[in-house]
Amino acid sequence: MSLSEGNYLHIVMPDQISLRRRNFGRFIIWGSAIFLILTVLLQSLDQTNFLTFGFENWRPTLYAYLLWAFCLCLGQVILYGEQGKRRLFILPAVLFVISVVIFPLIFALGIAFSSWNLSSPDGRQFNGLANVYQMWADPFYWNALKNMIYYTLAILVEYVIAFGLALLLNTQIKARKFFRVAFLMPLMLSPVAVSWMIGKSMLEARFGPISRLARELGWENPSFFGSHEMARSVIMMMDAWTFIPLMMIMILAGLQAIPKEMHEAADVDGAPPWKKFWEITFPLMLPVSITAILIRIIFKLKLADIIINVTSGGPGGATDSVTSFIFREYRDRSNVGYGTFLAIFYLIIIVILMTILIKIADKWMKPRY
Amino acid sequence: MKVELYNHIVRNGLTRRTMLKGAASTAALAAMGGAVPALADGHSALRAAIMKIPGVGMGSPGDAEWQKVGEMCLGPVKDRVKPGEFKGVELTFMGLNNQNLHNFLFRGFLKPWEAYTGAKINWIDLAQADYNPRLQQSIATKTVDFDIIEMGAPFEGDTAGQGLLNEMPDWVKDQIDYDDLVGYLQPPVGTWDGKAYRINIDGDCHTFCYRTDYFGSGSITGRANPPKTWQEVNQISKDVVGKTDPLTGLPAHGFLDPLKGWGGFGMYFLTDRAGPYVKHPDDPAFLFDIDTMKPRINNPGWVQAIQDVMDLIKIDGAYPADQINADPGTTGFQQFLAGTGSMLTWWGDIGSNARTNDSSVIGDVVGFSMIPGSDKVYNSKKGAWENNYNEAPNNAYLGWGVYVTNRVEGDSKKRKAAWSAAAHIGGKDISLWTSAYPSGFQPYRNSHFVYDEWEAAGYDRAFIEDYLGSNLDTYNHPNSLNEPRIPGIFQYYSVAEDELAKGFAGQYGSAQETADAIAAAWEKITDSIGRESQIKLYKASMGL
Repeated sequence: MSLSEGNYLHIVMPDQISLRRRNFGRFIIWGSAIFLILTVLLQSLDQTNFLTFGFENWRPTLYAYLLWAFCLCLGQVILYGEQGKRRLFILPAVLFVISVVIFPLIFALGIAFSSWNLSSPDGRQFNGLANVYQMWADPFYWNALKNMIYYTLAILVEYVIAFGLALLLNTQIKARKFFRVAFLMPLMLSPVAVSWMIGKSMLEARFGPISRLARELGWENPSFFGSHEMARSVIMMMDAWTFIPLMMIMILAGLQAIPKEMHEAADVDGAPPWKKFWEITFPLMLPVSITAILIRIIFKLKLADIIINVTSGGPGGATDSVTSFIFREYRDRSNVGYGTFLAIFYLIIIVILMTILIKIADKWMKPRY
Repeated sequence: MKVELYNHIVRNGLTRRTMLKGAASTAALAAMGGAVPALADGHSALRAAIMKIPGVGMGSPGDAEWQKVGEMCLGPVKDRVKPGEFKGVELTFMGLNNQNLHNFLFRGFLKPWEAYTGAKINWIDLAQADYNPRLQQSIATKTVDFDIIEMGAPFEGDTAGQGLLNEMPDWVKDQIDYDDLVGYLQPPVGTWDGKAYRINIDGDCHTFCYRTDYFGSGSITGRANPPKTWQEVNQISKDVVGKTDPLTGLPAHGFLDPLKGWGGFGMYFLTDRAGPYVKHPDDPAFLFDIDTMKPRINNPGWVQAIQDVMDLIKIDGAYPADQINADPGTTGFQQFLAGTGSMLTWWGDIGSNARTNDSSVIGDVVGFSMIPGSDKVYNSKKGAWENNYNEAPNNAYLGWGVYVTNRVEGDSKKRKAAWSAAAHIGGKDISLWTSAYPSGFQPYRNSHFVYDEWEAAGYDRAFIEDYLGSNLDTYNHPNSLNEPRIPGIFQYYSVAEDELAKGFAGQYGSAQETADAIAAAWEKITDSIGRESQIKLYKASMGL
């Protein structure tokens, strides 16, 4: 069989679709779309008390959406035959993403520009830009954002440690497999468990073993969460202890992928170890490193559980992260409108920041051979 | 009764011999024809009988005992409901699952009720931390999916205030002996706009716990008695700095203020301090002006309470190390019970744990009294201090109750069923049993304080008088603090905790600045919930 024949077998030719079939396809797609729009319209009118239909919940709209999604998928096959079947590989996933990501985001935007305190008898009220002004004048939020900068910068230190550990585990040391598993253990622990085991128990000022050790070493009244800087640093350390293994394992995988021949060639050329690292290992590891750092930043931006458990953001907001602050707004104060706005604003910052970082990283990703 | 306290009594205070002696004598007295000790009412025989299930010292009761007690206490239900009358009715009950009690206990109590009436109950069990968000979301999204709810009185503003509850029928009041309540649980608690909604099943208050070895002749404080005022409390905290704790040999400390928030609950502890300063006997309000919802948190009385804490923060050694990071759980369980610090305010748990918790070292040196008073009280209406001694103990959280939601409206059979179920678990006799055995609930009726009933059941008289008496003084105090049952009360507490934490960390210039920041935040919350509606609901919650 020739190559062209082989390719020919995989080409889907446009089907011969009859006009009647096309019309039926169009009918079910547009018919279900109109039904969906009508349902949304009627439910909206009912919700805003313009007309009364007695809808108890939004399930009719959900069912209309599911019907439309089904008809849309079926319509593709009816209208385009084999080509339509190809579209079915992606269309359901797109519709699913729209329903669980895009729609909620649109609703969240609506909530973000509302005053919605769950205790208010008036329910949700559109309040324009009031939440923006409130955020602008909210020292707790800006303080939490400032803390996030500190927490994010700590990733550089974590990266250096993770790289060092990965290099160590990549060499021929005794019990290498044991250390690989042992170093991964913190990652397997829930941050909640870490915060209780370390933050609330081992670092407990009076009975914690680390406090006792500190007293033995001459620190009269050890206090790990008493001052701003100390509390923030200890939170950083607990978070780092949990997640350094994640970076380490990614870097280790990268190190193992570097062809041995490159180091052997450098050895033949008489390159010293530092030169080998700086000129071969590090440049080759840049793509992996950037990926590891970006993933770590995403994890870091969600930092909340350790803070909520150990310090509740204190002392005086010194350890508050944006997420832990939003958690308090939501959970303790039922302030859904303002909390949602803060979350959306934070999301926008993250998206912009990550886009810039990825663009910059794109340039760095090209290794310096 | 608290589980720990019961276990302690069983472990340390009561031998099988004394228990049998008590039970046998009670039985003998009963056999002699009504010579049972003076009991609370005509149900004396029944009350004496349920107090023997399983019998003090016979292990912790479980589902079998709960069902048995539920069966024995069905009398008032049978008087009002025919067998099988609620056949086909399904009710949903939302409550807690703390300590495997609460809803689990109710299940046992209600099983015989279900068998007799023919109704079926579906259960929504929630962890304490999930309770508030679940309730708030149900209310806000209009998805109340329960007919009966176990709820604290502070949430009455969120529920009764928004018309979500069903009014208690008169026959229920008769069935549960509605008026048999300690002072602070009497209306307006449990009522809204003059209508009753709550069947009480619990009582709550803060009491003052102190170390007896810090007082008396030769003690490190040099004082004969524990403090009677907050001024004395602060002076003692200053005086013991640099001295050694007589029990642990570690540095001595005075009062343990929690300086870190606790999901809103930490605010109760500043309120303990502020109460005598700000709760004037002639004025029912202490957090807000009733007519305007203007916060009082930044008036001189509250500022004095904040200042008292700040004064101690400034003194090195007045608090244990890392106190800025200590929440009430830490001050109570990790500090006071472990021998750190000499004075504390807390709910009844600390009292019971002091003698029963394995990690407690203070069991033999702990004493209890009402929360201290003050040499002066701020009269908010006159805007001036008055130099009178004032007491204002804090009935923090007001205890658990059972309520019926308005989902039962329009269906008289379902409504009667829901109220019958609620009245059964809040019945007068069954409540004596929950007070006496591990249930998670405290005594709350006047009839619970008939010590003869407890003694007849096998309890040590002196111990039970001490335990019950410490709560009774607070419950019935004429100037006690009963928090406003307005919507979002915990939102106010939560934001106050945040601002206080900043103030205690030195980020505000003074106590007044800290209080002003809280007041500003409270004004915002009031506006976001709706000022006019809050004023109306505040007045309704005060019975005005």
